[in-house]
Amino acid sequence: MSKAASRANGASTKRLAEDGDICPVCKSSRYLNPNMRFRVNPECYHRMCESCVDRIFSHGPAACPIAGCKRTLRRARFREQTFEDLKVEREVDIRKRVARVMNKTESDFETLRDYNNYLETVEEITWNLILKIDLEATEKRLRLWEEAQKAEVESINSTVSRRLHTATDTVDPQSDTARVILKKSGVQRKALGPSSANTPEPGAMDTGLKDTGFTFAGLKKRVAPEPEKPFDPYGGWNIEPQYYTVMDDYDVDFISGAKTDVHHLAGGYDIRDFYSRALCEAFSGFGVFVEEEVIARENQASGDVGVGTQTAATVADGGKEVNMDDIF
Amino acid sequence: MKFFIDELPVLFPYPRVYPEQYAYMCDLKRTLDAGGHCVLEMPSGTGKTVSLLSLIVAYQQFHPEMRKLIYCSRTMSEIEKALAELKGLMKYRTEQLGYEEEFRGLGLTSRKNLCLHPSVKREKSGTVVDARCRSLTAGFVKEKKERGEDVELCVYHENLDLLEPHNLIPPGVWTFDGMLKYGEQHKQCPYFTARRMMPFCNVIIYSYHYLLDPKIAERVSKELSKDCIVVFDEAHNIDNVCIESLSIDLTEDSLRKATRGVNNLDRKITEMKSTDAAKLQNEYAKLVEGLREAEEARDENAFMANPALPDDLLKEAVPGNIRRAEHFVAFLKRFIEYLKTRMKVLSVISETPPSFLSHLRDLTFIERKPLRFCAERLTSLVRTLELTNIEDYQPLQEVATFATLISTYETGFLLIIEPFESATATVPNPILHFTCLDAAIAIKPVFERFSSVIVTSGTMSPLDMYPRMLNFSCVVQESFTMTLTRRTFLPMIVDRGSDQNQVTSQFEHRNDPQVVRNFGNLLIEFCKLTPDGVVVFFPSYLYMESIISMWQGSGVLDEVWKYKLILVETPDAVETSLALETYRTACNNGRGAVLLCVARGKVSEGIDFDHHYGRTVLCMGVPYQYTESRILKARLEFLRETYRIKESDFLSFDAMRHAAQCLGRVIRGKDDYGVMVLADKRFGKKITQLPKWIQMALDGKNTKLSVDQAVGSAKAFLREMSVPWTRGQMEGTSTWSLEELETHQKKQKGMGVLGVEERRAEGRAVDVVMMERRETVEVTEVTEVDEFGGGEDMDALMGDMDA
Ligand code: SF4
Ligand SMILES: [Zn+2]
Ligand SMILES: [Zn+2]
Repeated sequence: MSKAASRANGASTKRLAEDGDICPVCKSSRYLNPNMRFRVNPECYHRMCESCVDRIFSHGPAACPIAGCKRTLRRARFREQTFEDLKVEREVDIRKRVARVMNKTESDFETLRDYNNYLETVEEITWNLILKIDLEATEKRLRLWEEAQKAEVESINSTVSRRLHTATDTVDPQSDTARVILKKSGVQRKALGPSSANTPEPGAMDTGLKDTGFTFAGLKKRVAPEPEKPFDPYGGWNIEPQYYTVMDDYDVDFISGAKTDVHHLAGGYDIRDFYSRALCEAFSGFGVFVEEEVIARENQASGDVGVGTQTAATVADGGKEVNMDDIF
Repeated sequence: MKFFIDELPVLFPYPRVYPEQYAYMCDLKRTLDAGGHCVLEMPSGTGKTVSLLSLIVAYQQFHPEMRKLIYCSRTMSEIEKALAELKGLMKYRTEQLGYEEEFRGLGLTSRKNLCLHPSVKREKSGTVVDARCRSLTAGFVKEKKERGEDVELCVYHENLDLLEPHNLIPPGVWTFDGMLKYGEQHKQCPYFTARRMMPFCNVIIYSYHYLLDPKIAERVSKELSKDCIVVFDEAHNIDNVCIESLSIDLTEDSLRKATRGVNNLDRKITEMKSTDAAKLQNEYAKLVEGLREAEEARDENAFMANPALPDDLLKEAVPGNIRRAEHFVAFLKRFIEYLKTRMKVLSVISETPPSFLSHLRDLTFIERKPLRFCAERLTSLVRTLELTNIEDYQPLQEVATFATLISTYETGFLLIIEPFESATATVPNPILHFTCLDAAIAIKPVFERFSSVIVTSGTMSPLDMYPRMLNFSCVVQESFTMTLTRRTFLPMIVDRGSDQNQVTSQFEHRNDPQVVRNFGNLLIEFCKLTPDGVVVFFPSYLYMESIISMWQGSGVLDEVWKYKLILVETPDAVETSLALETYRTACNNGRGAVLLCVARGKVSEGIDFDHHYGRTVLCMGVPYQYTESRILKARLEFLRETYRIKESDFLSFDAMRHAAQCLGRVIRGKDDYGVMVLADKRFGKKITQLPKWIQMALDGKNTKLSVDQAVGSAKAFLREMSVPWTRGQMEGTSTWSLEELETHQKKQKGMGVLGVEERRAEGRAVDVVMMERRETVEVTEVTEVDEFGGGEDMDALMGDMDA
């Protein structure tokens, strides 16, 4: 591979002269003011320098100073630009919104193919938003979908809580929310009409009950999570003795006397405590091999590729020193 | 001669065989019988290649299943040499057997070396040749032609389709020259002839890259069957080849070019949508079905292949969000923009792939899965768009490969972003290294796929380092020496100057005036006493330059100038080859010359200084790697943590293999002789890391010499060497005739297990402990690692001669 990808000479000089380094509002350039920083507002994604933002918007919302924009901007929403390409900056903002709503994962679908179809639809929605195709309709469908999702989650939550309280409520908790959506969907159906050719039709509702904005083939029904098991303080660790079992009684001479001696029974003393204690002491250290530990300590390497990569990262960062003296 | 190893008849194309060659062949056969991998070290100049080929060809012809041999070497000249040897061997076999065997042996190299097209072959750069060839041979270009469009095709390629696909070239062994001639006569392309004939060959000889670089291997070596015998010759550097084949560097400039590439793609898609939307729709439909066309896999012209993807993933369909061409292009754009933002850092960043991926997802909503399909998706798109000027998309291809790699491997890779070129730089000029830490990743498919892999070279000590680093297990591990009747090379370690001051290239001392002066004296003295050529190796260019300028000031060079012509290697290939030519001329006439070069440079790896071209080699200082490199540090840490190889072990192993390579440059055969000087006090403690054949020749009293003592020994040695020596005196010990070989075999049969004497007679490395006991200590395990050997018999012999 191109190990020899040489650094472009003079890349740095170019960096200073890049066209984007002049503020379109006040025309000052980074060349004169090296500390100049740019801000964008996700309302219209027009760039301007920080001092312009301060000057124009410090007295409250104002119109964007870029010719032909006229949007009202607020100072609080100005932020640093992450991507060089403002189109990408905007795209990512839109994706953030879509991703919040369309958050299914592969395991939510019956087959991989269904999941892939879902992914494609999501991608199409995103692009509709980005390219402002069918903006209204898409927004609406997104909203519908979000509400439907929320409703579903709520209904599950209520099932869970019902299960917890072992109440046998016969009233379907879904009906309330369902009715709300039903009312809305009637209006939406008409508004949606024939939407973009790419996106699937809002789907003929098999139940004819609610419009969730989208339907995806092969989407599994949301199931309520398993009720949690009681808390185990040992985290599954077994404290049963491993090498022996304590029996109820041992027939040994030197304790036979103690067993019957009333003096020993004072204070609720139980001979079985003595058994378990004695056995524990006898067997403690069993299964511990000193040699192994010594070896493990000596070559303190995990032999694990993951750990190796992780420590290598620390080293390259300068976070840890590698022992590389000319040891000779 | 013809002899038997167990039941296997071997035809060896020379009348005499070296004992070590015989032993080498025995071990090879053992490996093949057992069906496993092996590591063999055998000094250069002992006919390793011919032994290898003789045995494996004999094995192929003897066993009905005819396992194919894939012989990988490093450089063009080595590949050519191997082809010539193979040709000689097959000629000899034909003579001996009285009939010609059905046999094909081919070599493969890049289009640049094999192209016949009158205008294409004149291109200077290999990638341009590849790209232009593709535009003349791709399937869609041909389709266009059939539709009657006016496009140019390569006739040499077209003619191939007229021939029987399994018989493009008659049987026999074809050298590159032979292929070119045959191709010119029959107007057929030698490159594609070789490519297409690979499944029908008995022996294939090509460069490592065709097997190790996953991007090439996928295309070229896919159809090779599992029972192939794979040989990596000159494999001492194989770990670095593996690592380089999976590492990528990106700069701001290459990202800019990648953006340009994406924008071009975007335009092309829009164009195609208006002219030929059906094609895109067709591609889309195929991706939905998750189908990969059969011919697609075999497409010999594919733009790029997928770098090392696990098989299960290859069968999966491309994720839905990059199925459509326009979505995919936007996806790439977003990814490149993200990389650009990452380049804007002001301090060094080092990240593991998972942490990179999670940051990427947070910022751009790019998931891991589509990223993994990037390389494949891009190839498909380029094919659909029928792009011909593919070299323009090189940077984009690199980005896609990077995407696929970083999302495929969670471990064994590291991302390092260095904003500044050096510690003192103030203007940022960032570079993103995506570096592979684990050499085992690239070579793993090879070990898994092929049942016998033979890793061999002249310098592989310590032998167990390779199995550990490359993570494989081997059935045979052996080191051979050169059996000699007189000592023809004299290794020495010089640790101090005549003034008793140390000699070292240790960082704190390397610029001390005494050290520099002692190095200078060493050079002057050896230039005085050596006839013909002297080769000097320095640890780095930097040190070489600084020491040369200091010598210039102190008059050392003027002194040397009286005895030898001085030539210097530079990083520039043309300059260096000019220097080499002058050096050779100077050695051929007159007093000879001294060549100053670098232990990790081109000269140390590929140039032979046989006979009078190199009578003395001086290794000035231990050739350590530059230890400040972050990539090296990361790799060392990884090796320690994962394979339990200590940092210092690896560094000195690496330094010593380079030192050994340098030393080996001057001895290229049994009739060659030379002096080898290791000038650094630190060498004394690293003797065990030298190859066995050097270790065994290194006399105990030659390991701590001052400059004047070394000069004394070297003078005595060279005087001895000037005594004429006939071939006859080598017979019996260092070369065997057929009878001698058979006597040895009989003796061996009676023994069952090899004793010390027998091991030694066969040129196997012998343990010093065993030598002292002088009894037939049984060597139960041949895979045992030998420690250190002395040459007591040699001394006796030398004593006899002195008398
Ligand atoms: S097909 Fe062969 S001859 Fe024709 S351009 Fe390609 S490499 Fe050259
Ligand atoms: Zn401004
Ligand atoms: Zn605006």
